[in-house]
Amino acid sequence: MRSIGRSFLLVVLALFPRVASAQGDFEWHVPAGLEEQRVRIPKDNPMTQGKVDLGKQLFFDPRLSRDNTISCASCHDPRHGWSNGQRFATGVRGQVGGRSAPTIINAGYLNGGIVKFTKQLQFWDGRAVELEGQALGPIQNPIEMDMTLPEVVSRLNGIEGYRSQFQQVFGTDVTSEGMEKAIAAFERTVLSGDAPFDRLKAGDESALSEAARRGMSVFFNKAHCSACHTGGNFADGGFHNVGIGMDQDEPDPGRYSQTKLQGDFGSFKTPTLREIARTAPYMHDGRLGTLEEVIDFYDKGGIPNPQLDEEMRLLKLTGQEKADLVIFLQEGLSSASYPDTMPPTLPE
Amino acid sequence: MFRLPLTATVIFALSIVSATQAGEIVLDGLKNPSGIAVQPETGVVFVSDSAAGRIVRLVEGSAEEVITGSSGDTYGKGPKYTIGPMGLAFLAENRLVVADSGFPDGEEYLRVFEVPPAGAAALGYDDCTKVGPLAATDSVKAEGNFYAVAATEAALYVTCNGDDTKGWISKSDITGASFGELARFIASKEATEVDAPVAITISPRGELVVGQMGEITVPSDGLLTFYNARDGKLLYNQPTGLHDITALAYSPRGHLYALDFAWNDPSQGGLFRLDNDGEGGVNAVKIKSLDKPTAMAFGSEGALYITLIGSVEEGQEVGAGQLLRLKPGL
Ligand code: HEC
Ligand code: HEC
Repeated sequence: MRSIGRSFLLVVLALFPRVASAQGDFEWHVPAGLEEQRVRIPKDNPMTQGKVDLGKQLFFDPRLSRDNTISCASCHDPRHGWSNGQRFATGVRGQVGGRSAPTIINAGYLNGGIVKFTKQLQFWDGRAVELEGQALGPIQNPIEMDMTLPEVVSRLNGIEGYRSQFQQVFGTDVTSEGMEKAIAAFERTVLSGDAPFDRLKAGDESALSEAARRGMSVFFNKAHCSACHTGGNFADGGFHNVGIGMDQDEPDPGRYSQTKLQGDFGSFKTPTLREIARTAPYMHDGRLGTLEEVIDFYDKGGIPNPQLDEEMRLLKLTGQEKADLVIFLQEGLSSASYPDTMPPTLPE
Repeated sequence: MFRLPLTATVIFALSIVSATQAGEIVLDGLKNPSGIAVQPETGVVFVSDSAAGRIVRLVEGSAEEVITGSSGDTYGKGPKYTIGPMGLAFLAENRLVVADSGFPDGEEYLRVFEVPPAGAAALGYDDCTKVGPLAATDSVKAEGNFYAVAATEAALYVTCNGDDTKGWISKSDITGASFGELARFIASKEATEVDAPVAITISPRGELVVGQMGEITVPSDGLLTFYNARDGKLLYNQPTGLHDITALAYSPRGHLYALDFAWNDPSQGGLFRLDNDGEGGVNAVKIKSLDKPTAMAFGSEGALYITLIGSVEEGQEVGAGQLLRLKPGL
């Protein structure tokens, strides 16, 4: 039994290579409060400054859409918290989709799960895997940008500035594979952390106001928001049914559409709460206009339905607790180093 | 420095477990069986037949009721599982601890029974010493939803899943035949940032070895963690790549095994050996596919006993549960 003495020393460090500075000429800034190794960089898509710059241009370029009106940034606009400030997203020809545009802040951050093993699932229902697997979706979606891949590739190849950059970065003309890699690399740089909450955690007692500190305590205890909004990005990487949409005649099945497990019916990916003050309206159907409404929604225990998450219940928060919670979300999770990216000059 | 009690070598590799390890079904028709303990001295296997609200023992190839009458609760939102008594552990030849999961949080106990000899009438569910419950306090909610129990000579430990913000491992000190107050001991979610402590066992050197199940909706997030059993300090924490670890056990040869329930895709579930990967991490080697395995224990002769929930057709009643026996040699 005791032959176990043959076990050996544990090498705690050096298990996962840190991404910092190892990325070619790209200077990496992962803000405080986020774990660096959770911004995973696929082996076949290393970060380089040229690639990130190219991805940024593609992200802001409406020429990726059929009628040259819609770019990724139309729906993921830095001026609206990298969302669009509207209940639903509007694509080409004014077509409106059925889900609200989530922020892409920290979309490259692995919430929950294990850096070495867990795949990063994108979209409210997790149907795309990793940022690379997501990027070409909206371009081809008929109610978003409505292009075919051959069309968009040929259009971009007609723009000398793109062709030369693709040659520099990938050694090829414009390809859809290069587009997805460049866009994903850019998205990985859209990060928010180093908020007053993080500074308090790091020991700066004056980082949060009294009210925000009280709200923080409500968040982590009585209101048990942290059962789901947990970790550096305030999201557990999981899918939960909080009841949103379950009051409709034909509710959006959410995660169920991917897993076909009854328990996933009406479950959606837990969203980040970083920069939440900027990303109204809230929830996958954008129904809640303010954080006050969000707190009232949770205080009532969500919307009852057979798949409602166990963590949803009557909270019985006092008026003071609700107000403090809102202040914590607004003040504690808004960063002075918000990625307030300006649209780049687009290539000709 | 903490040394990992996983054997360092993989030399025996899979040759130990040949295709002949199909596993022998020693009991079937069980209802969501979710706990196993092997009685010291006699080697008799006890199983918690969870949805049936009872504990049975394996006597001459069939199930004999030992304790009956627990109520049931529902776990999951679809698939849904009725659960009652869960983890089992023996403290002495006849002293059996049963972890409750069939009642509301805050009304669940560790129940300590003095089990009668084989052939005697079954005990009622309240014919026991109750340890607990874990009531709500000002800052934390009531706790319960016990899964597995483990015991040292000094204390009883139980994994709790009522409070997803903390992920408590609770503890009751043992002095002779009496039990100290059941108290929240380790906030495993705070220690690991991953949900749901489920599997628990004691390492050959006396550390608490815990399988952190993680979110059932998040694949591959299962952790293997070690804690100091006395002060609760986290000693070791590594990813395993497994989805939803439900049980951990050391074989007589000192290998550590894990069961993976794999909630999202049960076809990936099974029995795994957790090898040291040589870099301080864990390499999970699949030994056998299993249909929703929940608990395991090595018998006195070295055989491994495993409970499975199994699969039933839609609309059918529960009752596909099995007790499986794998030959000695693991
Ligand atoms: C017409 C509006 C619109 C456009 C244009 C658009 N998106 Fe989106 N985006 C959305 C909506 C709506 C969702 C959520 C859809 C869902 O979950 O089903 C989304 C989701 C995402 C997500 C997933 C975020 C998460 O947390 O799951 C990423 C990443 C993303 N978009 C990136 C892009 C990129 C890159 C482009 C340009 C190639 C783009 N989007 C163009 C509306 C848009
Ligand atoms: C059971 C898990 C769970 C708990 C507990 C929980 N949330 Fe959420 N939260 C979610 C999920 C899932 C969504 C998305 C729901 C949807 O759109 O259907 C969400 C959405 C939100 C949003 C909107 C984000 C956006 O970008 O639209 C806010 C704000 C929020 N939660 C705050 C809180 C606060 C504050 C608490 C505590 C009072 C809390 N949550 C408790 C899972 C949870």
